[in-house]
Order: sequence, then structure tokens, then C-alpha cells
Amino acid sequence: MIRFFMKPYRWAILFSLLLVGSVTFVLLDTFVIPKSIQKVVTNSETQTQNTTKSQSDAVVTATSYQDDNIKITIETVQKYNSTIYIADIQVSDASYLKTAFANDTYGRNIKDTTSDMASANNAILAINGDYYGFRDSGYVLRNGVLYRSIARKTGDDGALVINAAGDFSVIHESQVSANSLTADISQILSFGPSLIENGQITVSSSSEVSQSMSSNPRTAVGQISSLHYVIIVSDGRTSASTGLSLLELAQEFKERGCTTAYNLDGGGSSTMYFNGKVINNPTDGKTTGEREVSDIVYFGY
Amino acid sequence: MILSISDIKIKSKTLQNLKIISVYLAVTLVCIAVNKIYAIFGHGVSSEAMTWMFLYPLIGGILFFLMKEIMIPRINQDLGVRAFSNIYNAGIATLTVGSFLKGMMDIAGTSSPYVVFYFEIGWLCIVCSLISLIICKLIHKDSKGHKIT
Repeated sequence: MIRFFMKPYRWAILFSLLLVGSVTFVLLDTFVIPKSIQKVVTNSETQTQNTTKSQSDAVVTATSYQDDNIKITIETVQKYNSTIYIADIQVSDASYLKTAFANDTYGRNIKDTTSDMASANNAILAINGDYYGFRDSGYVLRNGVLYRSIARKTGDDGALVINAAGDFSVIHESQVSANSLTADISQILSFGPSLIENGQITVSSSSEVSQSMSSNPRTAVGQISSLHYVIIVSDGRTSASTGLSLLELAQEFKERGCTTAYNLDGGGSSTMYFNGKVINNPTDGKTTGEREVSDIVYFGY
Repeated sequence: MILSISDIKIKSKTLQNLKIISVYLAVTLVCIAVNKIYAIFGHGVSSEAMTWMFLYPLIGGILFFLMKEIMIPRINQDLGVRAFSNIYNAGIATLTVGSFLKGMMDIAGTSSPYVVFYFEIGWLCIVCSLISLIICKLIHKDSKGHKIT
């Protein structure tokens, strides 16, 4: 056996094949193979009844939506050499701010486009979430159910907590365990960094997600006051729209009076869906079109 | 022209050394090129693991060459030397690939529980190869180092 491998190139060929095989497996496991962990259970009957009642009275235009419970206006702004889509949302109850998983399933590499998820959940306005399924750490708590309690160990560990009253706050995963959070938490989104906390901008001109470049397509969510929110999505990585830095993004929230704002997954994931269609221009810089992601944040019934 | 046995041995050794240097140098250049190409499509996102992965074949290659030249200058075909070469090269290859994968994951913003195994196995291979080299050196301690099987 040992003599066999001592012949020239035999060991090299065998080891190369092993290396190529293992790399293929790791890449498939990381990026391709879906791993379903938990199916989401929803009360669809109640949902349908509420949707039919309120949405039938809605006043809808290309840039606005208003019914008894939800009021949304969309503004498109050209600033910082970028196209920025700004949604102002007011709801009568925090239960209209929701999240959803792709295929209603929590897991890794379970993906769908923001628009498909939004459509499946009767969302009025939806954005991509934190793409939790691309990582193995970071708290995942959605619609009151804790799915992942593994804290992030590297980089920024700020997570957005949305309580049952719909109020935003930012916690640091290294300091607060997911299990210690009280039962009145509706959502935890784990991406970051936080842009505004207690009315103050928390990023600088050198702040960046990981080691990303300064201008990118962005998705972020903020709160002005109780049940009053702002969502900002910017196009980027094109000659028509370069994208925003985190500081520019934070300044936009600050100008609108947000007390808390939080950056979500950006780049090719950045998507804003409103009244049945995608209103921004999602691109990863190479191809245009929506990227499949793990989850969405949406307003709807 | 008549070549003596020692002349043939020297010529063979020189060719072997050239082969080692060129292979390690080529892998180093490929690593640098991969990092540069990846940077073009990475939207400015970089990773230290990807940036510095070329150091594994570069430093690994230099050490490999020095160890062969200093510790076992005249023992080329021994089983122990062969084992050292194979396992050492496998270790450097595993570390380089591990660094590439780590860089890829960092740039994509994801992670894999399997990447750490590349570093563990890579360093384990390096340690094993050094042990085999020491054993080989001890076996040939009393000989004049002319053993050619």
C-alpha cells in the first residue's frame, strides 16, 4: 500500500481528487443544498378574513396605499448619485408589521425572491430581510418564535429587536442571550450595523458591512414613533445609481426623524415590493433581477 | 562526452530542484491571480484569507526547498523522504485551499463549519511530514547519505 503511493504522481493524483471532491461538497453545502429545519405554522383562516375585509376598502395609487389600518406612501429620490426609494408607513397595530420565510420554512439555503414571498403572504409593502439562511449564527426570532439563538461572534453583533408593541431597539448579541429576551418580542433581525440608536447616528464614514465597499444597494428599516416606520431601499452598483454609504443611509433616516434605524441585507438582495410589483432595480452589479433570499419583512394582513 | 555517475546525480538533482521551485512558484502566482480576479467581481469586498493565501505556497515552498537541501541533501529516493514530500505537499495544498475557501466565504458573507478542517488537516500533514523527515534523518544519521533505492 505504502509502496503504491511512493510511485511518482499517484499520491498527488489521489490527494488532488480528494481535495477537489471535498471543495465541491463544501461549496454545495454552503451555497446550494437546501436544509429545511422547521416549517412555519400560520393561522391562514383568520388572515384571509382580515385581509378581505380591510383591503376591499383600500385606496391604492402607484405610490400610495391607505385603508383603515395601514397607510403607506412611497417617495423616489435622486440623491448621492443614487436612486433612493423611501416608504413611510403608519399602521394601527403592530401586528401588521410581519416577517416571512421563503417557502414558510426555516432552514439553510431555503430561498425565494422577495416578490414571490410577498405575493404568497399578501404583503402590501415588502423588503428583503437579513438573509439569515446564509449564515450559521445570528439570532433569528420571527413572529414570536425563536428559531436560532446562536450569537454572532465576529464583526458587528447588533441585532434589531421589534417588540410586540412594534417598537424598535438594538441589542448586542454578545451581551444579551436570545433566551433571556422576554416573551413580548415579535421579531429579531440580525444583520446590521445599526444606523441610528436613541436618535443619534451610530455609523461613521468608515463604517461598512464586513469589508464591503462604501457605496452599495441598501435596504434598511427605521422607526419614527410608535407604529410609524420608514423603509429605505437604494439602487446601486450601476452607472445610473452608485448606491449609498452607511453614513448617507443613516443621514436619510435622521432627516426623517427616526429614533432607531437598522441596516438589513443589501447588495444584490436589496428589493422593495409594493402593491404587487418590485419598484426598485435589484442588481448584484453583474446581472439584473431579484436575488433569491431567505426572508422578507413586510406590512400586510 | 562521458558523464560520471555523480555528474548524472547532480544533473538529476538540479532538475528536481528546478521542478520543485517552478511548481511552488506557479501555485504562488496562481493564488495571487485568483485573488486579483476575485477582487474584480467582489464589488470591493476583500478577505485577508484570500489576499494572503499565496503565502502558503510561497513560504511553504521555500521551507520545503531548504529542508530538502539542508537536512537531506543526498537522500532523494528514500521511502521516508518520499513520504515527507508527499505529506508536506498535501499539507501546503490543503492549507492553500482552506484559505481560498475561507476567503470565498468571507467575501460572500457566509461561513461553513467544514472550513476549519482544512486548516486542521493541513497543519497535521505538515507536522506528520516533519516527523517523517526527522525519522528519516535519524535513520541515515550514521550513513554517508548515499542511499539510493
